[in-house]
Amino acid sequence: MNGFDYHLTDIQLRYGNILALDVDELLISGGRLHVLAGPNGAGKSSLLHVMAFLEKPSQGQVVFRRTPIVWEKRELRELRKRVTLLHQRSYLFGGNVSSNVAFGPRVRGMSKEQVCCSVQDSLAMVGLGGFESKNVKHLSGGEARRVELARALACKPEVLLLDEPLAYVDRESRVIIEELIVSLVLKGMTVVMASHDECIGERMDGDTIHLQYGKIERITNRPVAPGSAGHR
Amino acid sequence: MSFFDQSLQTAFSLIFSADQDVYAAVWTSVSIAIWSIGFASLFGIPAGIGIGVGQFRLKRSLMVILNSLMAMPTVVVGLLVYGLLSRQGPMGKWGLLFTTKAIVIGQTILAIPIVANYTLSAIRAADFRIVPTTLTLGASTMQSLTQLTREVRFGILAAIIAGFGRVISEVGVAMMLGGNIRGYTRTMTTAIALETSKGEFAFGLALGIILMSVSLLINIVLTFMQESSRA
Repeated sequence: MNGFDYHLTDIQLRYGNILALDVDELLISGGRLHVLAGPNGAGKSSLLHVMAFLEKPSQGQVVFRRTPIVWEKRELRELRKRVTLLHQRSYLFGGNVSSNVAFGPRVRGMSKEQVCCSVQDSLAMVGLGGFESKNVKHLSGGEARRVELARALACKPEVLLLDEPLAYVDRESRVIIEELIVSLVLKGMTVVMASHDECIGERMDGDTIHLQYGKIERITNRPVAPGSAGHR
Repeated sequence: MSFFDQSLQTAFSLIFSADQDVYAAVWTSVSIAIWSIGFASLFGIPAGIGIGVGQFRLKRSLMVILNSLMAMPTVVVGLLVYGLLSRQGPMGKWGLLFTTKAIVIGQTILAIPIVANYTLSAIRAADFRIVPTTLTLGASTMQSLTQLTREVRFGILAAIIAGFGRVISEVGVAMMLGGNIRGYTRTMTTAIALETSKGEFAFGLALGIILMSVSLLINIVLTFMQESSRA
């Protein structure tokens, strides 16, 4: 079990009578990129919500870094500080870019200076340095997506979950986001990303988990380069 | 000159001559309304948020009750609070009846359903992604609700404006619980009712104009606050 961030067993997630997710077993190794690929309704977002500790599965067990999750309120809050999800259709709070990116560091009780540094660093990572005072209403679709990503990165998560981060963005933003994801993985972060694009895992050197009707169809593992962060 | 023109002229002379009775009634009305809406917001806003975000069995019933309470007649509130505050009532020993405090209690009860209901509507109309977004960014439940409140602040300000409009213009509670005592519990609305019944139409009209002006001014200030923070 050593080296795995998640171990999911017998996971089912139901919405009324609809079975949205039915996973027998899934292991997510640390320090790697994992792409959840599949069509609409395949269960990608549902799986990310479970992994982000936002939705308790109807049945089954989630083990995060060797700790079985009991879905207790206090525990969940601590876990959510370590795992951050970028929603498929994320929401930017009213106001400027800075107040949005500062949200995560602020709720973690960081000092003003630390929050300020975190905001600047995160915006620089997504190529939006100098956007701090810009009102979110005046951002383009691609810029908004990058601000959302910067907001997630400002939380300094151990695991970053991205739900369709490349959807509805222009070419420039797409390239920046893809390069950023690859660099985060190289630094040792675990990134789990949902995408419609079946080839993106291969292109970005990640494992691909193919989902269909809420079930895992197959997993395509990429060889781990010796000495890389994901090599254990 | 017609009766109405004459009354209007007298009304303006009363306003501009800074008539003590007129300004005492204005001050009493405004201060009572501010206290009442302050207390009503203290209870109504959290109640509206709680009902809006909470998932519990009697939620729908509570919403129906809250809607019904919005149309509660002021004299009924006056009557109920009168019963509580009168000498024989459970709170009679505090001697609150026929004081401005009694009017504040009555008007607070009157405004709570309005503030709560408007807040509830604002919460229900809020973007459903706000709470999950705050949670995944590491917020506690309280921090998440605070951010949600921040996001719907324009709706909450509208709730306060609506509640203020209700309390400053009502007459039943002020009359029954305040007793319309000159220079003490006489509000603009009770003074209008009294002076008009005495045949002092000009005095009533002067107060009516001031009442409308004060309401307009306060609404302009609140709307300006709303717009400037939205920009």
